Amino acid sequence: MIRVCHLYPDLLNLYGDRGNVIAFRQRCQWRDLPVYIHSSNLGERVDFSKYDFVFLGGGSDREQTLISADLMQHRDEFAAAIEGGLVVLAICGGYQLLGSHYLSPGGENIPGLGILDFYTKAGDQRLVGNVVVEMELNSSLCKVVGFENHSGATFLGDVRPLGKVLAGNGNNGRDGLEGVRYKNVFGSYLHGPLLPKNVRLTDHLIGLCLERRGLKNELKPLDDSLENRACEVMLSRLGLFKR
Amino acid sequence: MNLRLSLAILAGKFTAMVSRIHGHKGSSLPGMVARKIYPGALRDLAAQVSRGVLVVSGTNGKTTTTNMLTGILSEAGYRVSSNLEGANLITGVTTSLVRDAGIRGKLPCDYAVLEVDEASMPRVLREVKADVVIITNIFRDQLDRYWELDKTTGAIREGLGQQKQVTLILNADDPLAAQFQRITGFPAVFYGLGAGARATGDNAGSQAREGRFCPFCGDALIYDYFHYSQLGQYHCPGCDFDRPGPQVEAFEPQVEEGRVRCRLVFNGREAELILQVRGLYNLYNAVAAFSAGLHLGLDVPGMLESLGRYRPITGRMEEFNYKGKPAYLNLVKNPAGFNEGLAALCAGKGSKDVFIAINDNDADGRDISWLWDVDFEMLGRDHRPYNCFICCGLRGEEMAVRLKYAGVPIEKIIVDADVTRAIKSTLAGGAGSAYLFSTYTALWPIQRIIKTLALEGGAAR
Repeated sequence: MIRVCHLYPDLLNLYGDRGNVIAFRQRCQWRDLPVYIHSSNLGERVDFSKYDFVFLGGGSDREQTLISADLMQHRDEFAAAIEGGLVVLAICGGYQLLGSHYLSPGGENIPGLGILDFYTKAGDQRLVGNVVVEMELNSSLCKVVGFENHSGATFLGDVRPLGKVLAGNGNNGRDGLEGVRYKNVFGSYLHGPLLPKNVRLTDHLIGLCLERRGLKNELKPLDDSLENRACEVMLSRLGLFKR
Repeated sequence: MNLRLSLAILAGKFTAMVSRIHGHKGSSLPGMVARKIYPGALRDLAAQVSRGVLVVSGTNGKTTTTNMLTGILSEAGYRVSSNLEGANLITGVTTSLVRDAGIRGKLPCDYAVLEVDEASMPRVLREVKADVVIITNIFRDQLDRYWELDKTTGAIREGLGQQKQVTLILNADDPLAAQFQRITGFPAVFYGLGAGARATGDNAGSQAREGRFCPFCGDALIYDYFHYSQLGQYHCPGCDFDRPGPQVEAFEPQVEEGRVRCRLVFNGREAELILQVRGLYNLYNAVAAFSAGLHLGLDVPGMLESLGRYRPITGRMEEFNYKGKPAYLNLVKNPAGFNEGLAALCAGKGSKDVFIAINDNDADGRDISWLWDVDFEMLGRDHRPYNCFICCGLRGEEMAVRLKYAGVPIEKIIVDADVTRAIKSTLAGGAGSAYLFSTYTALWPIQRIIKTLALEGGAAR
């Protein structure tokens, strides 16, 4: 049984982010892998050691402030679980939350969970549009497609990026990097949502969960022709699709 | 006579003529040209409206409410100027007044009913003195343009802040719309649907509730019931914000094949309202228009008659007939609206062919992730009534992926980039009826194709 915790689904679901959980669940179920999904809301005490996969979406400023305060109370347990190999996908606002701090437009320093070494600074311009990122999965390169919409600019410290930006802005529109990767944590600005059409990444996350359970990381192949076509449409539009 | 205004009107009318010759609708460009020549065109024309300017804004139902209200006023014998086709930026609003003005700069009209995009409220209300402002509802819409709900409510608040005196007509069931009375302090007429109004099952919209937090103190609102999305009976446990008691309220709505009826209670009176349109959400639009008419002192039986005669406009569950098979075309632009469309699809009897066209041009919203907030799962749970799902448009493949993950078997999902062929297969499909959903920029081409096919189908019989 793969155990999933969807953090604050009511508050952090700004851009169809629940699609990530739907995709993860379906791709497990199509392979007859039992999966349990728990939705955790404000004020609930989450036992991170019980889960294999934690998903954190994006929200508006107001919602993010509420969540930040709530999650701070479980910060140490969350950090320990991550060190222990917990698989995490954090999108947009959820991604920013994992960093050390956020510098607001007024110069105010708002602390983050400080689990990963990066910070975010309010930008003067909104980064909006389709994005293609090239990332490494099991030592082969893979193009990941999504849509970004953020004004925060993120700068990485001593952590790997999720990948290289081939089209769009990514973390800050300057250094050509997108997202963050640390142990089994994946942070990204990509909506779309990310997992439904980027099936290699989704299956990679499922595989990591199986390994964490001490099971064999062997996934039955599925018919992904619709998902691949959806990606190809955007890659062709951005001039990045080669047969 | 203001020469620049005359010149602007003349140039606007000329542009409209040229646009029409070239086959365009010309609903925005004439206003743009007129404003270039004389930036005060809208202000000067709107100031001439003799009885009152009515502004309609909100996320869903603007165009239908505007059309219903214009119908009520025209049928009561008034001269009305209105942007009926939904061109709702400042250029579209200007176009409608320029169209109805004489070249000497006179606008002979009693009322103006202006549909205004939420983000354009500050600009339009800077130039137009409104007498009545209707806010239908506030949902998440085209996020890459508006970013967040807070921005939408902020724009409406800014627009209203520029008015000295105005009467608000507000949806009491939507906390995000109802809040504007308290924010502005303006007098308001509230309208709503009474308890037990949900006639099509409460599965729709369970995931698309946006405004469940108190706009004043931030506490989670407590609901006694929901109609759909965040619409319902709510109160805040943290402060005294709650659903205002509506002056106009609809009870016991019944959705029958092709129409909706309800009991309307207002000012201690009662009447039966019957609409020849599909979908419970149209009841909200009708009650909004009725409330505005009531505020203006219009005759009640006349209004009810006018609403009863109302027929849906392009893409609002617009009905066609192809060789005896009914086909319904519905515009979709956000989760709340799409969920209501799906509820109507589920409520329809017999087997169905379904067509969905998703574009991601600027006017559609470039970000299509909102499709994941739509409850397509209700189709996956019981897919037997559906013969096929034909996906089309610039992001048809993405739509197909959404349906697959909602549990629709892939044998029933077809992607066809050729719009004409896709519509043909839908209409000629084996089911008893066809439902077509489309985002904004695909809507008019699709409507043209259906009309042509329906005509051919009729001739062949």
